[in-house]
Amino acid sequence: MSDSSPLLEVTDLCTTFTTPTGPVAAVSGVSFTLNHDETLGIVGESGSGKTVLSRTVMGLQPRRNVVVTGSSRLNGVELVGASEAEKRRVWGLEVAMIFQDPMTSLNPVMRIGKQIDEILRVRRGLSRSAARDRAIELLELVGIPSPTQRYREYPGALSGGMRQRVVIAAALAGSPQLLMADEPTTGLDVTIQAQILNLLDDLRARLRMSVVLVTHDLGVVATRTSRLVVMYAGRVVEVGSTRDLFARHRMPYTRALLEGSPRLSNPAHTRLVTIPGRPPNLAQLPAGCSFAPRCAYATAQCHVERPELQPADGLGHYFACWNPLPTPTGVS
Amino acid sequence: MSDSRQPLLKVRDLTVTFGPRRRRLSAVAGVSFEIYEGETLGLVGESGCGKSTTGRALMRIVEPSGGSVELDGVEVTSLKGAALRRLRTRMQMIFQDPISSLNPRRRVRDIVAEPLDCWQSAKGEDRRRVVDELLHQVGIDPDLYGERFARQFSGGQCQRISIARSLAMKPKLLICDEMVSALDVSVQAQILNLLEDLKAQYGLTLLFIAHDLAVVKNVSDRVAVMYLGKICEIGPSDTLYESPEHPYTSFLLGAALEADPDSPAHREVLSGEPPSPLNPPSGCRFRTRCPLAQDRCTSEEPALREVGDGHRVACHFPLSLERR
Ligand SMILES: Nc1ncnc2c1ncn2[C@@H]1O[C@H](COP(=O)(O)OP(=O)(O)OP(=O)(O)O)[C@@H](O)[C@H]1O
Ligand SMILES: Nc1ncnc2c1ncn2[C@@H]1O[C@H](COP(=O)(O)OP(=O)(O)O)[C@@H](O)[C@H]1O
Ligand code: SF4
Ligand code: SF4
Ligand SMILES: [Mg+2]
Ligand SMILES: [Mg+2]
Repeated sequence: MSDSSPLLEVTDLCTTFTTPTGPVAAVSGVSFTLNHDETLGIVGESGSGKTVLSRTVMGLQPRRNVVVTGSSRLNGVELVGASEAEKRRVWGLEVAMIFQDPMTSLNPVMRIGKQIDEILRVRRGLSRSAARDRAIELLELVGIPSPTQRYREYPGALSGGMRQRVVIAAALAGSPQLLMADEPTTGLDVTIQAQILNLLDDLRARLRMSVVLVTHDLGVVATRTSRLVVMYAGRVVEVGSTRDLFARHRMPYTRALLEGSPRLSNPAHTRLVTIPGRPPNLAQLPAGCSFAPRCAYATAQCHVERPELQPADGLGHYFACWNPLPTPTGVS
Repeated sequence: MSDSRQPLLKVRDLTVTFGPRRRRLSAVAGVSFEIYEGETLGLVGESGCGKSTTGRALMRIVEPSGGSVELDGVEVTSLKGAALRRLRTRMQMIFQDPISSLNPRRRVRDIVAEPLDCWQSAKGEDRRRVVDELLHQVGIDPDLYGERFARQFSGGQCQRISIARSLAMKPKLLICDEMVSALDVSVQAQILNLLEDLKAQYGLTLLFIAHDLAVVKNVSDRVAVMYLGKICEIGPSDTLYESPEHPYTSFLLGAALEADPDSPAHREVLSGEPPSPLNPPSGCRFRTRCPLAQDRCTSEEPALREVGDGHRVACHFPLSLERR
């Protein structure tokens, strides 16, 4: 694969769950690309479909009660509908995922070293002793103090931050080109969060990986991603360079997300900009723009016709809105 | 400044310990502060540092093992029976997990009326009127939602209902423990604005406990920073955020993420993790992670001392000395 073709190409991806109360469109018509050596952020509020999207992109979905359409190609290889054997070849070696809750990706009754060993032996075909050496190296790489001793510990004996480091070490075991990190620091203290985010940045640069950073926290992506995808109710509503989205967003929801976050630089008792209501129920999406019931700019058209993503410029910034915010003057 | 006002709450050397003598854990290890009438005091620190335990001890949800807590001049730690229950109408607490702190099988109106029923302070028409008024105030339409069950509501709505219930007895002090931490950004902003409005309207005094430094800055007049069961710094929020004196405060602020691509990336990151409260370091509790630590920090515990107007720090070598 040449470095000029995208590493990951997602086209019109849809994930719909069949539930007793009807279909739930968790991801609808999502398209984006990720280049080599790039960090892409996916942001949105709870339930906007970030986790379902990341799992679908990897070809990871329950076998039953789900319909996936569209395409997700990693290095040109289709993952949607791929055979289990094909996916197993790719998982770990080309793409690895860090899940939202580190405890779910670790086996609580297995020593942490063994869990990494196993990946190295199964995926990379290393011998028992080579796997052990490499596992200790990986634990060291992710900043676990005294890795030789820690190798023998169980996940329960570790703090949240240490556990997340182990999860990262396990993800790196197959030397993937793409790391999907779903809320890798949610629930960790700020000082530990800073350590883990610095670690991910550092590993990305050293190992020449691409990273997809999924989070509800705009602070996490502001300085650590080059491009951003904003999701609302299962759709991409705006995508572009991180700088453009912060400074020149066009879609009212993106603005609401930005201006609703309290800032450290705000004086005390700053009035926050709020939007009424909350995200829609995915089983009963409104016709038209799914943000319309909460949007201060909504017009009659918004309630009946869904806006498609349209280019804001020729530079990869797209937004889905009938009445986009003006581009601020004086910023270029 | 604020010191000329009357403290509504005065806390002295509050300690809370858990566990048997051999494995005694001091979750709160001698904490003193006051909250002045009408102000919001923010309480920040990493998880496990003792923020919630402090709040719960003030309410006597957990029993303090030492120290004194005065609300409006009344010693709280020795209250019993009816007097203790009455105290709980003057001090109310709102918790992080909005959904599980409400009984899912009760109707919204009955949840909000719980304190009124308990004190039989309003009945019949009167009760209904008070409850509906409270629901209106928190942005829930009583005619539409009053008879629904709590389990049918989202996190943000449950938090609104919790707020309505906490205001029913017209408390003076509201203790908010991570009350917006589980909420999405857009809902969090709604609740924070609502809290500010109600605070003004009801003349509330607030202890606002949270780990999110930006959220705390937004609502607080003064902020206290806790580390391993102790307050390491306390002061007016602007001063504390702009020129922190304690090395720990400085690291904490440095690690906080600003939603701004032009904000500086993490410079110095605090290494390691907080030590176990079962076995806290001697002297200054922060010394095992502090880059400025000296011999004296091991042998002598730093006391909180005044370094500016209402600004107190517990460090032998506060940062302004460094800067000088
Ligand atoms: N197996 C499933 N069956 C039915 N609905 C599902 C299933 N998995 C997820 N969903 C729904 O899909 C939507 C998107 O969920 P998802 O977990 O992707 O959100 P998210 O953006 O990751 O949120 P959070 O920030 O809370 O992690 C939600 O409404 C969720 O309830
Ligand atoms: N009921 C309890 N029994 C034993 N230990 C407790 C109990 N409640 C809290 N702790 C411990 O006390 C310390 C402080 O906890 P907490 O007040 O919840 O911290 P914070 O709210 O700052 O995260 C922690 O070490 C915690 O594990
Ligand atoms: S399309 Fe209409 S409702 Fe949707 S964001 Fe734009 S203005 Fe608002
Ligand atoms: S007292 Fe010493 S160890 Fe503690 S914060 Fe100050 S300089 Fe650091
Ligand atoms: Mg998720
Ligand atoms: Mg707590």
